This record gives sequence, structure tokens and C-alpha cells, in this order.
Amino acid sequence: MRISKGALLIVIAFIAPLIVELRTVLAWVNVELTVLESVVLGIGLIGVILVWALWPQSQSNGTESAETK
Amino acid sequence: MTNTYIESFPAEAKVVRAAFYSSFLALAIGGLFGIIQTLHRTGYYRFMDSADYYTVLTAHGVLLAITFTIFFLVGVFTWATTTSLDRPVEDIRFTWAWYGLMVVGTVLTAIPIFAGFTDSEMSASVLFTFYAPLQGHPLFYFGLVLFVVGTWLAGVDWFRSWWAWKQEHPDKRIPLPTFMVLTTTLMWYIATLGVAAAILLFLLPWSLGLVESVNPLLTRTLFWFFGHPVVYFWLMPAYMMWYVMLPKISGGKLFSDPLARVVFVLFLILSVPTGIHHQYLDPGIAEGFKFIAMTNTMFLLLPSLLTAFTVVASMEHGARQRGGTGYLGWLKALPWRDPVFAGMALAGLMFAAAGFSGMINAGMNINYLVHNTFWVVGHFHLTVGTAVALTFMAVTYWFLPQVTGKALWNRSVALGQVVLWFVGMTFMSNAMHRGGLLGIPRRTAEPQYDGFEFEAAVGSVGELDAQIALGGALLTLSLVLFFANVVGTALNSRSDDLPANEYADTLSGPSDAPLVLDNLKLWTAIAIVLVIFAYSFPLLSIIERGGLFGPELTELPVHIGLGLEYLWATTISTVTTASETVVALGAEVNW
Amino acid sequence: MSQTAEHEASNETSEHVREIGHDEFDPIGTLTLIGIYFLILVFLWFFMYFVEFLGNDPTVVSGTLVFLATGARSA
Repeated sequence: MRISKGALLIVIAFIAPLIVELRTVLAWVNVELTVLESVVLGIGLIGVILVWALWPQSQSNGTESAETK
Repeated sequence: MTNTYIESFPAEAKVVRAAFYSSFLALAIGGLFGIIQTLHRTGYYRFMDSADYYTVLTAHGVLLAITFTIFFLVGVFTWATTTSLDRPVEDIRFTWAWYGLMVVGTVLTAIPIFAGFTDSEMSASVLFTFYAPLQGHPLFYFGLVLFVVGTWLAGVDWFRSWWAWKQEHPDKRIPLPTFMVLTTTLMWYIATLGVAAAILLFLLPWSLGLVESVNPLLTRTLFWFFGHPVVYFWLMPAYMMWYVMLPKISGGKLFSDPLARVVFVLFLILSVPTGIHHQYLDPGIAEGFKFIAMTNTMFLLLPSLLTAFTVVASMEHGARQRGGTGYLGWLKALPWRDPVFAGMALAGLMFAAAGFSGMINAGMNINYLVHNTFWVVGHFHLTVGTAVALTFMAVTYWFLPQVTGKALWNRSVALGQVVLWFVGMTFMSNAMHRGGLLGIPRRTAEPQYDGFEFEAAVGSVGELDAQIALGGALLTLSLVLFFANVVGTALNSRSDDLPANEYADTLSGPSDAPLVLDNLKLWTAIAIVLVIFAYSFPLLSIIERGGLFGPELTELPVHIGLGLEYLWATTISTVTTASETVVALGAEVNW
Repeated sequence: MSQTAEHEASNETSEHVREIGHDEFDPIGTLTLIGIYFLILVFLWFFMYFVEFLGNDPTVVSGTLVFLATGARSA
């Protein structure tokens, strides 16, 4: 884990406003997303974040806590 | 021995608990009406007559904006004064008395609202903005009066505590939480004069049939005299929680006690003389008066931006003490797993977004674009519906153990609840804002019209409706989780392993704050002067034009001054018309 | 706080690893966040200019100002 579980949950929650607003912002530059495309994009982003967060950090978990101290 | 609030102040804890439970009951009923409206408006599920929509809307508005918020905050304020002054209330019977008065007032107000669902003559579907020409049953107004008087007495109770404390500590600074309570209460006293005048002088006599008519613009203006500062009455307790609880829960200290005092003083001064910004589209109020209200409103951004800085800096202090580093990396070190923290932080974040739409509302020109549209509904669901409501729900997870002596039922459910509220409100509020930009009106059961369709710039109105319904459903689910936690906690057995009743220390303490900040008389006087500046001329001109009790009753000049004025106005208009005719004739001749 | 609770808390993030006083505390992260907020604000105001004002007539207040300045009423 690169990030605490609580922080991970918040980051995922934060995807919601990002995706919702992104659709409007993109329309401003003439990129029109459908709802389905937005949903897929959102799920994709969450997937990327999960992979990033759960990817082991170079060494095993045991040494991680020692490193931070 | 755990030093919880209930152990230090067992009698007060009971009152605070009763106030909290009263507010949660209002939240439950109001929330239920929320989802009913959402489904009705969007057309997904209409099981009632559309005329009943307005009764639901009234109950939703009154129960959430008045009952839920104010019952919760009187609990918080009582906690704040007793804890920070470290003394029990002067007379617990008096405390119960104002609480009881508020309960009676709420019940009396609710009876005519709910009677609107029946076939009886009684009803009060006048919406939360209950100004004329909508007229409710007298009981509605009478209940509101009792409720407001209850809050006034609550204020007396907090002031009594402070006066008694001051006798024993003549040279000490007012503790910060008490300072916040006192300034907010003073603001509330000034603000409620407007609604008291509107109800006692006009709406109640009119509803009882004692007077034949009222001047609608006058009652509107008096309502908004109160209707804008009331939002600060909800917001100030949320701010107090951000100032005195959030730093502690983040693991740090409040960045600056003097800044916090400045913020509350600014709110005392500036909250009231702004109400006319709700009336930018009202004919009968001159542009200049509206401009003054706009200027005052823009000044109000200052204390909110000061708060953003102080609160974020306090959180950062906590994060760095917990080992956080970097420009933004410190955010990771914050206790996101704690529902109390996560809820308040998300509420603050939503409030930053609400700042954008608030500035749009406050600007006179741009307001014309969104006035009375769904945009406004989106805006206040971010402010009172999230910044305030989510903060209150989050701190409930801290307060419940304090006032019940029982451990919180489930922290993970609590965390899920606050996150779900954030996500649900994102969907609902975003669609409301965008719908408003298309011109979709607010306060409307069926916002669809024959031969006309709103055109969405992005997506479609159907998609916006779906987004609103989705958001409403998530919010309802979030409420269910919240009540599960409240009930589960109440059913828990007493615990000895609870955090102590403490609030945040400060990095820069009260000794750094200029003494003048604690001079409540001075700030109250300035606040009153500003109110007089902002309101006396608009009110006079409204009365002069429309009369105290409506236009019909002012046909006769009631005294010589008014008669002369009338004569003068007539002369002026005659002269103007004549000169215009002359100019027009001249133009004709030139042709 | 019990042992287990303390252990759980330290699992989440190392709690309170150092004491930072008034003079050592440099809220650079706050400046960063508020700076981002400020940039968003400026962008939105800029954006609003295009949405609302470009191509529209001056509204009431600016109309009055134009009238005062030039003595001519804009249509």
C-alpha cells in the first residue's frame, strides 16, 4: 500500500466530481462524451488509482514502516 | 474515569442530547421528503398530486433549514459555553425551558404544514420563504414565533454563563468557543428582528384577519433581512467545529486564535446588511440599494477566505506533526480514516465549490441569469446541505459518545456515510446547477411544458434528471447509514474507553489578539449602524410607495408631511411628462 | 486509550511524530492549496465573462454608468 485505506477511499470518492465536471469542460473544447463513456472513464481512472495504490512499493510491506521512520 | 462531557456535566449533557435527537428527528422526516421531491420533480416516481408537492417542499425546507440546523446548533453552543468556560449552566431549569419552548414551537409549526396533506381547512404550504402573498394558517406563524423566542432565551442562557464567569475571571480573555457563541448570538438577535417584525406586525395579523392586506414587498424585504443572516446562523457553528475541533482531530493546533476572532467579528458586522441581494429581481427596490447589498455581500467573502486559510493551515500543522512532508504530500498524513475528520474535510471542500456559485449569485448582473432557477437550489445544497449538514453529521460521531457515554456503533459505516454524502451531493448539486443555467425553474413540481423543451448545452435534460435522482438516492442511503449509527450507538452499553472532552489548542493564542476584539458592545454597535445604513432607506421607500399594509390603504394622505411629499412627487412627474412632450415635439419639428 | 486502539492508530499513519511550534511552522502546503483555489477562481471568472457578457448588451448597472459617463443611454 502506498497510501492509507482511508485516504484511498477519499481519492476514489474525489473521482466523482472530477468525472462529472470533466464532461462539461471537455464540451467546451468540442469533445462530447456520452454518459456511458464518462462512466467507463471513471471506472478506468479508479482502476488505475487502485493499481497504483496497491502496487507493492519496491520492497515488501515489512520494511516499509521501518523506512518511513 | 474518561473525562467525557457527560461525566463533567451530566445535567447539561441531557439537554444537549435532547437537542441533538430533536434535530435528527427533523433530519429524518426532512430527508424523506427530500427523496420524494427528487423523484417527483424528475418524473421518475410520482405517487402524489402535484399540488401536494408544495406541502412536501415546505416541510422539507422548514424541517431541515430551521429545525434540524437550529436544534443541533443550540446543542453545540451549550456544549461550547459549558466546556470552554468550564462551568455548568446557571440554572438547568431555564435551559430546559428554552429547549421546551423550541419543541412546542416546532410542533405548532408542523401541525398546519402537515394538515396540508389532509382535506382539512388548515394548511401552511407557504414554503420556507414564507413571505406574502402566500398565506398560512395562524398556527404556523405562532409556532415560529415561539421557536425563535426559544432561541433568544437560549442566547440569554449563554450570556448568563459568560457574565457569571466574567465576575470570577475579570482579567481573562473570553475563551474562543464562547466568543464564537456570543458573536453568533448577537448576530442572530439583530437578524431575527426582521422576521419578528414581519410575523408579528404583518403576517400573523393578516392571517388572523385583523388587517385586510399587507405590502408584499415589505414582508419580503423583512423576511430577507432575516433570511440571509440565518444562513450564517447555520454556518457559524460549522465554522466553530472547523476551528476548534478539526485542528485537534488532524493532530495539530489551531493556527491563529486572533484570526478566528476577526472572522467571527466580521460575520457579526456584515451578515445582516446583505439580505437585499436575494431581491435583485424585485421591482420596487432601487438599483443603488441593491448595489450596496452587493458590496456588503462581496465583503463577506473576506471572512470565509480567512477561514479557508486558517483552517487549512491548522490541518497542515496537524499533518506535519504526524510526519507529513512536501507541498501536497502532507495531505496523505491526515487521518482520513476518521469519519469525524473526513466528513468535515469533505464538507469544507464542498464549501469551496459553493463559494463559486455563491459569487455568481451575489453579483448583481450575473444573478439575473440564475435568479429563481434550479441553480440556486444546487447552491444551497452545497452550503447548508453539505458544508453545514455534513459537518454536523461528522461531528455527531464525536459528540454522540460525549453526550451518551457510549462508544460509537460503527466507525467504518460512519466513514462510508460521509463519503457517500459527498458523492451523492456531487451528482445532485452539479445537475441542479447546470439545470439552472438552462433556465429550469426552482419550486416547481413539474418543470416540463407543452411545446417547449429546455436545451442542454452538454448532454440532455433527461440525463440531468437521472443525475439528480441518482444523487438523491445516494443521499438517502447515506442518511439511512447515519441513523443506523445514531440508533446503534444509543443501544450500546456505557463505555469507559472514550476520548476526553477537549478542543484544539492554539499556535498563536488569545494573548496575541488585540483586546478590542473582545469588545462585543463596540461590534454590536457597528453592526447596528451598518444595518441602519443598508436598510432604513429601502424600507422607507417601500413603505412610502406601497404603504405599510398594502397599496390600497394609502390612498388618503395620513399626515401633512406625506401629503406634501405626494404633491411634490406628482408635480415632478407632471413636469417630467411635460418636458418630454416638449422634447418630442421639438424632435418632430426638426424632422 | 487501550493498547489495541493505539496500535491500530499507528498502523494507519504514524501519529504525532514531532512537535512543531509557532515559529518553526511554515504553512507552505496551505499556500499551495489556496493558490490552486485562487487560480481556479480566476479561471472561472474569466470563463464567466465569455458565458454571460460577451455579445450581450450592458446590463442595468453598467448601463447607468455608461449613461453617467457619456450622457447617452445605451439601447
